Amino acid sequence: MPDHFLGVQQASISFGKGEARVPALRSVSLSFERGTLALVMGPSGSGKTTLLSMLGCLLSPDEGTVFVDGVTVNQLTEPEKTAIRQKKISFVFQAFRLFHSLTALDNVAVGFEIRDPDKPQRMEMARDLLLQFGLGDKLHQEPNELSPGEKQRVAIARALAGNPPILLADEPTASLDVKAGRNICEILRNQVSEHGRTVVVVSHDPRWREFADRTITLCDGQVDQEVKNS
Amino acid sequence: MKLAWQNIIHDRARFSVTVLGVCFAVFLMIFQGSLLAGFLRAASRLIDASDSDIWITSRGVQAFEFGTILESRVREMAAGVPGVVETGRVCMAFAVYRTPNGTQQVVALVGADPNVGKRFPVPNAPESAGETSPEAVLYDVSDRKQMEVSSLPAEVEINRHRASIEREIEGYGAFLGVPFLFTSYRNATRDMGFGPEDAMYILLRVSDGHAVSDVQQTLKQRLPEVDVLTQGEFAHKSRMYWTMKTGAGGAILTAAVLAFLIGLVVVSQTIYANTMENIEEYATLKALGASQTFVARIVLAQALICGVLGSILGLLAAIPSIGYAKSLIPWIYAPWWLPAVMVIPSLFMCSLASIASVRGALTVEPGRVFRA
Repeated sequence: MPDHFLGVQQASISFGKGEARVPALRSVSLSFERGTLALVMGPSGSGKTTLLSMLGCLLSPDEGTVFVDGVTVNQLTEPEKTAIRQKKISFVFQAFRLFHSLTALDNVAVGFEIRDPDKPQRMEMARDLLLQFGLGDKLHQEPNELSPGEKQRVAIARALAGNPPILLADEPTASLDVKAGRNICEILRNQVSEHGRTVVVVSHDPRWREFADRTITLCDGQVDQEVKNS
Repeated sequence: MKLAWQNIIHDRARFSVTVLGVCFAVFLMIFQGSLLAGFLRAASRLIDASDSDIWITSRGVQAFEFGTILESRVREMAAGVPGVVETGRVCMAFAVYRTPNGTQQVVALVGADPNVGKRFPVPNAPESAGETSPEAVLYDVSDRKQMEVSSLPAEVEINRHRASIEREIEGYGAFLGVPFLFTSYRNATRDMGFGPEDAMYILLRVSDGHAVSDVQQTLKQRLPEVDVLTQGEFAHKSRMYWTMKTGAGGAILTAAVLAFLIGLVVVSQTIYANTMENIEEYATLKALGASQTFVARIVLAQALICGVLGSILGLLAAIPSIGYAKSLIPWIYAPWWLPAVMVIPSLFMCSLASIASVRGALTVEPGRVFRA
């Protein structure tokens, strides 16, 4: 078994049936070191989101392996994969995916309820997280009352509830203006530099290069280029 | 569970429809349940009111209202069986009643010996001695309008015999749509044209030292041409006749089941619509690591919240409605436990209604969260 923190080994997957079957990833091998921010780029249909789904235990490859914290996860049962997500992995989405009926504070508290159900002080912890992201005056606002940048900060706070070591972000700045987008880049970079988390960002946004330790470019389901940023 | 609550109240119109659906179902179930309970009670009311251990009836009598004359020797033979300490007689027949105003109608005239039971409505019964004459006639207060009695005592005619209505009683209102009139056994047999020794029902009390079942067996052996039933057996037979054989109970029960089904459909529709509307959020929960139990609990909690609120409203609506209905349907009866017990099928209904929604939430692919 490869001694990697997070990655895929010879992973292949196709979607569709019969003649309509299309390969999404073809024998991709990638590993992501602990405490780094990796940027995955590539044109639409290159397999970026498929890779992210595999790393997040949401999708199993047809061939090859996926490993998280040294464990080969594609052989695990669904409840075991759920447990891994609960303890080790969290997500940030392009569409934020906040719970529309809950306030910002409650949205983050749900994150704690899922990942840290035994801790009774989840509201206090949620408040602390939102304060860290400058949302102290938005605690009781519902998502439709927040700006896109604020929504994404709430989503990141929710993702960080329970202190997961891995953060997978899918186009986290795609719906944001330049200023808000940069703010999100800084926040995620800060999670790597100050908290030692491993962050994988899938994005078309070239601004991320400035914040990433490594840039991987996918094309037609294969790794086209890997560049370590200085 | 805040998510469950917030999700359902976020769409207030849909939430209101769901709660009203449950409320309507609970209301109907309680109301129909009260009709059924009242119907069952009324079907054996007079049998239950006796203090007797055993009833002797003609062979094949299905209910109190359909008795026929027994041979007079039956009473004498029954009295001679060891363990029988007391015998009493009851008869019932339909009779023509002429009101003080001269109008006529059919009534069910019941005559009984004073010893058949303390609760049995008989003039001159031990607890009412002195209040009425032995020949008095009693009627239920709920039939006052039908009896056209403006003041008591009132002189009326029953089967062309003079009679004096002297007292109103409660709890023995018209069950068949025909008012009951109660009088002494002697009076009733005279009005019905029976012989003084004729009996329709012979009621027996068994001494403390004898088992009712043993005495019943002996009676069955000695009197093979009649039915010998314990009080409970005759009451049950009577209730079964009116509820099952006439179809009346079935109709009431069907209405209650329909109410349950209406509630089930309303709740499942709205909870399912709510779940499908928020399906992306369930996918998000699963992506974030929520277990199947966690997701199922949210959907089930939504259904149960609607169930509890709807049940409370249904109870609040049903209790005064049943009180009002008593003036129209005197035998309607809501035992104290009925509303509480009806909460159980309503919660069951809501849980059942959430199955499709729970399934929808559990089978959603968490990977869909990446679709923008």
